[in-house]
Amino acid sequence: MNKLKLGCLSVLLLLQYACIKKAPVNPEADIISFSIPARYLTSDVFIDQINSRILLNLTPAAFDSGVVPIITVSEGAHLTPPSGDSLHFSTKNQNTYVVTSASGVNQKTYVVTVVNIGVWQWDFEIWRENAKDKYQYPIEANEDSSEIWSSGNPGIALSGVPANPLEYPLRATTDAYHGKYAAEMVTRKGTALSELVGIKLFAGSLFLGVFDPTNALFQPLKATQFGQPYIGKPARFMGYYKYTPGDNYQDKSGTIIPGIKDSCSLYAVLFKGTTRLDGTNIQTSDRIVAIATLPDGGPQANYKRFDVPFIEVRPYEATDQLMLAIVASSSKDGDSYKGAIGSRLVLDSMQVTHQ
Amino acid sequence: MSVTQLLAQEEHSFQPHLEHRILAGFNFGAATPIGFPNTIRKINAYWPEFSPSLGYELTYQACEEWGVSLGVKMDYKGMGTKDQVQYFHTIITTEDGGRFEGDFSGHNKTIAKNAYITLPFSAVFTPNTRWRFNLGGYVAWLFSSNFHGTVSDGYIRNGGPLGEKVTISEATFDFGTNVRSFDIGVQGGAAYRVGKRISIDGNLNWGLRPIFPGDFRGLDFPLYNVFLTLGVTYKI
Repeated sequence: MNKLKLGCLSVLLLLQYACIKKAPVNPEADIISFSIPARYLTSDVFIDQINSRILLNLTPAAFDSGVVPIITVSEGAHLTPPSGDSLHFSTKNQNTYVVTSASGVNQKTYVVTVVNIGVWQWDFEIWRENAKDKYQYPIEANEDSSEIWSSGNPGIALSGVPANPLEYPLRATTDAYHGKYAAEMVTRKGTALSELVGIKLFAGSLFLGVFDPTNALFQPLKATQFGQPYIGKPARFMGYYKYTPGDNYQDKSGTIIPGIKDSCSLYAVLFKGTTRLDGTNIQTSDRIVAIATLPDGGPQANYKRFDVPFIEVRPYEATDQLMLAIVASSSKDGDSYKGAIGSRLVLDSMQVTHQ
Repeated sequence: MSVTQLLAQEEHSFQPHLEHRILAGFNFGAATPIGFPNTIRKINAYWPEFSPSLGYELTYQACEEWGVSLGVKMDYKGMGTKDQVQYFHTIITTEDGGRFEGDFSGHNKTIAKNAYITLPFSAVFTPNTRWRFNLGGYVAWLFSSNFHGTVSDGYIRNGGPLGEKVTISEATFDFGTNVRSFDIGVQGGAAYRVGKRISIDGNLNWGLRPIFPGDFRGLDFPLYNVFLTLGVTYKI
């Protein structure tokens, strides 16, 4: 009798095994890689998967002659125009690639963006909003609307915050020193989901560079990719800021540590090479050649001007391939999830001057 | 007196009466979709969690062959499973107003262990002194719920198939508080008498109400409690 019942049970389970259906056809439509010989580039190609853009930092010669990228896409997907077609740049035409998934249902259009940094001066006047997750990001005032600044916002979007710009730690504020807007960073508490993985606090951040979501959950420090191509030698890093630390400094576990005041951090780092540094090595890499750091991260109720020189830490030439990162955070230890909820840093009218 | 006469006499002496039984056993089964969606690619492991079932059943034996019964049971319905999924759609909402939606591809481990107070009711058919069959339904109230697990070795796409890909080395989920507090289903089985008072009993309990409410979107298909109780009954 027991055997019979066990038999019935196995049949039931076997039926369930047998019911595994045919695999779904691949619905994904990504450009996975986009390769151009390094000699044409002033920094590594970045595929911005969040906004479906290919960001290219090209040498002037490559911009004039065009390039022939080798492109790979999701398994079974179809790419138009195909990999190996040459790509020419002009100010009139936008280059796009359309990827159609193997399933035929999904299509993703990637826009090729040649990043033009132009003037190293920022007023944070023009902001855009991510369509799905509703976080804000500043874009350049140039005709290309280049996006050269990034933040932790896209990562925080993955932790299930309500879709409202004010829920994200980096956003625009009308509390500006000059013009209409400034960049505001406010350290916020973790979300129900982030607390599951031990993140109880998100510091506000703003940096020159890109956000790579691929590793955002298990190696968050590698998601923040710092630096944009830079030509020449920088002299000074200057701008205006104000800072109000939050009331209670907490450690990673969320425990309030009495007697510690939160402070902000703001620095510029010049380094050699065409590959970006990230949160794990931006302060320690031996590729770093010059640093300019705001000396005092303490409270500053009203807008205060800062003007700090680049200090050379390793010899370099103006002709070297260089990248420059500017990194700002409303909590100096925010990279290890320590700080005070409510700490607020506002930046406006920043610039880097050249030697 | 011949055998026939004896049986006839017993028949005549039948009086409708109440019978009392203690039921004890274990539940084997799963909180399972009925027909797997194609996003489930492989079941790598399945195990029943420790799922005891203990209760009491009252039967009104109306005539020799037929009766009706009503029981009350404490039922643990548990299972563990390891599987592989592809493009598995999930929406997670949190108490702080947060929401995350995405498609996960990778490995999943789920442990479900829900405890119910169950009231089974049946029509009982007793064709002879060895066998006893029952068929009916049940209603059940949840008093403790667990539905949690991990996702690992894969990636999630923010929003859906075209969202950015985010690697997941390991992340946990816990939908325990979402499990519905009321379940209703059909049940039926057979008991075989092996001693004076003891029978071996097998009873299939098939839930007809998804264990998660309709507005829960952590899984995009309904799960039902389908469990087989194997145990003994003791007639008091």
